[in-house]
Amino acid sequence: MGLKQLLTRAGFLITLGLLSACDSGTPAANQEATTSSEDKPARVALVMKSLANEFFINMANGAETHQKDNADKYELIVNGIRNESDLAQQVSLIEQMMATQVDVIVVAPADSKSILPVAKRAIDQGITVINIDNKFDQELMAKMGVSIPFVGPDNRAGARKIGEYLAQQLTAGDQVAIIGGIPGAFNAQQRQAGFEDAMTAADINVVSIQAADWEQAKAATIAAAILSENPELKAILAANDSMALGAVAAVRQAGRSDDVLVVGFDNISAAQDMVKNGSMLATAEQYGDQLAVFGIEYALQILESGQSPEDKNTPVDLVTQESLQ
Amino acid sequence: MQNSASTLLSVHDLDKTFAVPVLKQLNFELKRGEIHALMGSNGAGKSTLCNIIAGVHQATAGSMQFLGNDYRPENVNAAETSGVRMVMQELNLFPTLSIAENLCFKHLGNKFGVIDKQRLNQKAEALLTLVGLDDLSPDTPMAELGVGKQQLIEIASVISEPTQLLIVDEPTAALTDPQIDLLFNELNRLKESGVGIIYISHRMDEIQRIADRVSILRDGQLVATENIADIDVDTIVNLMAGSVDESAKTITKNNNTGTHPVAFTVNQFTRAPAFNDISFDVKSGEVLGIGGLIGSGRTELLRAMFGADVASSGFLSFANDNFQQKVTPKTPIDGIKAGIGLVVEDRKSQGLLLQGSLLSNISLSILPKLTRFFGVTNNSQEHELAMDIAKRLAIKYDDIYAPISQLSGGNQQKALIARWLLKDLPILLFDEPSRGVDARAKALIHDLIREQAALGKAVVVVSSETQELMTVSDRILVLSNGRLAGEFDPETLTEEQLLEASFRYYSASNQ
Amino acid sequence: MSKKINLPWNSLGLIGVLIVLVLFFSLMSDYFFSTVTFRTLVNQIPALTVIAVGMTYVLLVAGIDLSVGSVMALSAAVVGVLIVDFNLPVVIAIVAGLFVGLSFGVASGFVSAHWKIPSFVVTLGVLEIARGGAYLVTSSETKYIGDPIAFIGSPVPGIGVSAALIMAVAVVIFAQWLLSKTVFGRYMIAIGTNEEAVRLAGINPVKWKVAVFAIAGLLAGLGGVFQLGYLQSADPNAGIGLELSAIAAVVIGGTSLSGGRGSVVNSFFGVLIIAVMQTGLAQLGVSESSKRIITGLVIIAAVLFDQYREPLAKKLNRIA
Repeated sequence: MGLKQLLTRAGFLITLGLLSACDSGTPAANQEATTSSEDKPARVALVMKSLANEFFINMANGAETHQKDNADKYELIVNGIRNESDLAQQVSLIEQMMATQVDVIVVAPADSKSILPVAKRAIDQGITVINIDNKFDQELMAKMGVSIPFVGPDNRAGARKIGEYLAQQLTAGDQVAIIGGIPGAFNAQQRQAGFEDAMTAADINVVSIQAADWEQAKAATIAAAILSENPELKAILAANDSMALGAVAAVRQAGRSDDVLVVGFDNISAAQDMVKNGSMLATAEQYGDQLAVFGIEYALQILESGQSPEDKNTPVDLVTQESLQ
Repeated sequence: MQNSASTLLSVHDLDKTFAVPVLKQLNFELKRGEIHALMGSNGAGKSTLCNIIAGVHQATAGSMQFLGNDYRPENVNAAETSGVRMVMQELNLFPTLSIAENLCFKHLGNKFGVIDKQRLNQKAEALLTLVGLDDLSPDTPMAELGVGKQQLIEIASVISEPTQLLIVDEPTAALTDPQIDLLFNELNRLKESGVGIIYISHRMDEIQRIADRVSILRDGQLVATENIADIDVDTIVNLMAGSVDESAKTITKNNNTGTHPVAFTVNQFTRAPAFNDISFDVKSGEVLGIGGLIGSGRTELLRAMFGADVASSGFLSFANDNFQQKVTPKTPIDGIKAGIGLVVEDRKSQGLLLQGSLLSNISLSILPKLTRFFGVTNNSQEHELAMDIAKRLAIKYDDIYAPISQLSGGNQQKALIARWLLKDLPILLFDEPSRGVDARAKALIHDLIREQAALGKAVVVVSSETQELMTVSDRILVLSNGRLAGEFDPETLTEEQLLEASFRYYSASNQ
Repeated sequence: MSKKINLPWNSLGLIGVLIVLVLFFSLMSDYFFSTVTFRTLVNQIPALTVIAVGMTYVLLVAGIDLSVGSVMALSAAVVGVLIVDFNLPVVIAIVAGLFVGLSFGVASGFVSAHWKIPSFVVTLGVLEIARGGAYLVTSSETKYIGDPIAFIGSPVPGIGVSAALIMAVAVVIFAQWLLSKTVFGRYMIAIGTNEEAVRLAGINPVKWKVAVFAIAGLLAGLGGVFQLGYLQSADPNAGIGLELSAIAAVVIGGTSLSGGRGSVVNSFFGVLIIAVMQTGLAQLGVSESSKRIITGLVIIAAVLFDQYREPLAKKLNRIA
């Protein structure tokens, strides 16, 4: 029995070792770097939302590639949460990064308010915090007396661009529906507002606005319901591509692919294929794989110059069948 | 015993021992094309014999020949391959599947596992016609049928396979008269085609109607095989009975329980179909034995008196309020409030916490009394009490904190009794108190039961062993088919009387 | 033979796993073995801890409670809304939140025990109901509370750990005491071992099972309060999948899914093992896929380890 136990324990350790060896060499690099050099590179923690979502995976990969090219400048630790809405886990991650005394935390907050207190604590500890992807709540920031620079696309403007492109294919008075992200999230609100701006401007009738929490399956269910409820529906505007894919599936199942246009946001690869073959009308490229990099570069810049942080807009471009050719 | 050409199965000197010897040097012969009734009182060995023939159990010693060849089936499949099939007393059906699927369950699909529904239904219809249920659609789910029809379908599914020897165990219990006629026609048809049938039943009239021969078992041995025409009911009962060990009656009893005050009465107690209209009273300081065949409603009666199940009508009344209040216990808590404790029959699944310690099993029902404050258990008091009663009942154990599953059946039973003794209730019900217990423990348990009566408690004991009833009881009631079939004084009771009463209401003429 | 002394050998396997994990992560990362890390780590677990305590009780009586994550979110939501939108004093809001948790527990327990519906099904339904309730009271928005509630989750000066942690540990100790020293505890074990035998011994198992679910609900509510203190906001999406983490922690702690055997203290060790895994892997920046695989393997390994724990405990007891 003793032997068996020993074997269990050994097997367990080996497994752990192997698995972590499969990962990027960051930990080992950390050790060497921190022990050898006096003028040590900055340590940057990237705290993402769900790393099961292609958008954030691309962002993380982009950051890692960038780090490899700039290994002398900074080290990178990437973490994400289990599902988009697990606030507690994201707070934990930030605290853990604080415990490892990083210099910079670049965070894509899962909620625009709840992550603020922990971010404030990080700042108080002397860590430079940069906000990407989903903007912190301005009012609350002001109330708490912190200022965290947001580096990222103007979601409202981007959504408006998509909406305007869609409006060109429609006529005034047409019926459309909007499928939104998680209701509390800032970028969800911004994208929804951008869609609405464009629709109002073109005199198009938004008959339904529902949240599908960024999820494909949920979006498909909701889109199916909207479609059967509104036989005259001409388009569905989804606040991200995952939900747009769900909407496309629902449209196809309803047999209305010829009548109902679908637009998304984010330009994930599956959506790109859809746009190419015409199942989707358009999506928006916000250079997601570079978003984290923009944030990191900006952070490094602040670290070096000590300048007062300000928001920084990154580009959002429309993706259509023509633009892909 | 000679083997002739007509012999289908012969059994020689068969021994089977579970905890105690069940079959002793048993010999038996079944011919082709006969219906052979098996009779005997509880524990005579009928079921064990059939289980060995059908491959459910294996004999400890002895031999069998089937069709002239050595026959020793290792399991039910082996027996069935030889053409030996048994219709189980418990239904082996799948209630959610259709009749057709049940009937063809063993050959549901083709070799690819695909089901040809039409083929199944055709086969099923043929079988349904056989048992006179041709008005049923083969697609009907089993659960929609009554017990009687299910029983017939079970029989149909057994005889749908090639069969040379068929065993049926109490097949008519749930059947109506026309259904019984159909069943008997089918059995006779099988008989004509040369199948040998072993027919177990308590019902004398049925046996006289259908059987060709009857074999009577007693204490694991064959006592007689006769042509049914040559034997009458009285002779059969006499043969089943045998003699009672008179020394059993020497145990100290309270001789004059007749003058003791009545502790409680049972009035028109009914829980159909288990038991009907049962009335009796029990005196303080007496042990009332309840005999009868297994399945005659005794266990159900005790459970309803205790509140484990609820009686549909009737009530109990007790001496402490001069029999004013009519009590029908709805839960065991009601039973206990009325002063009743029940030592259950199936101690493993209903009595004990098998993974729990001996200590926790003993103290379970009195824990609230063993507390200091706010429900905190007084472990030293609990330990002391348990040690004390374990010593008093001579429970053998190594470690009072070790799981009770490690103890022998006798010690487990004593622990269960200890639990109720600690509760100190004026009325105690024992259901088969010495089942699966060795002889020494059995004697101890009998002493214990007598001792409780001597302390002035009213005690009821259900037992399938005549010997045990005679040993512990001051009075014996007999249940037959859910009805009260007589009250006896163990001093004068003969086993013939007991058996006659036990079988009384199973005959159609007495119903 | 006198009274048996219960040596903590049966926690030994778990402590062993914990030590191995801590050693491993300390070797792999420069920052893991530090007061800051451990303080951060333990301040993250109060909610999971008290919910795992409730889950231990439920599993002990051979039930299961899938609703704890949702009930936690709802309780937190109620507290948040009462503070933010109704301006009620924090203490009253917290009492109301706990009451919500308790009520849901009582309801689950009553429906499943009284009508004999498997608790899996009932609590699956309650999971949806409570989640819907959480969306309803918050209008699907995260309620930011901020300072009024922060005292629960913030480190107590001079100690470094939060008030929530201290309360959670107190709950663990009290719950273990309740389990091993009181009639209630003995009844839970008995019901989980053989409910019918308990009924026939004249004890009403329904009553006690309802009590167990009520406690689980109350502790889910308390978990919600702790979560509030930690996040300073009420998130209607909080605790999705938390029931599985709690079950994992409890099972790692050696509690039997079929009832009758379990320990609250060991469930706490299960929570610690999960927390150490999460913290360690996050500090290493291990990729999400590997994190999941490793966590899964550790759960299975810890339970396997538990299989060998009993013989080992016996051996050590003999030596001692």
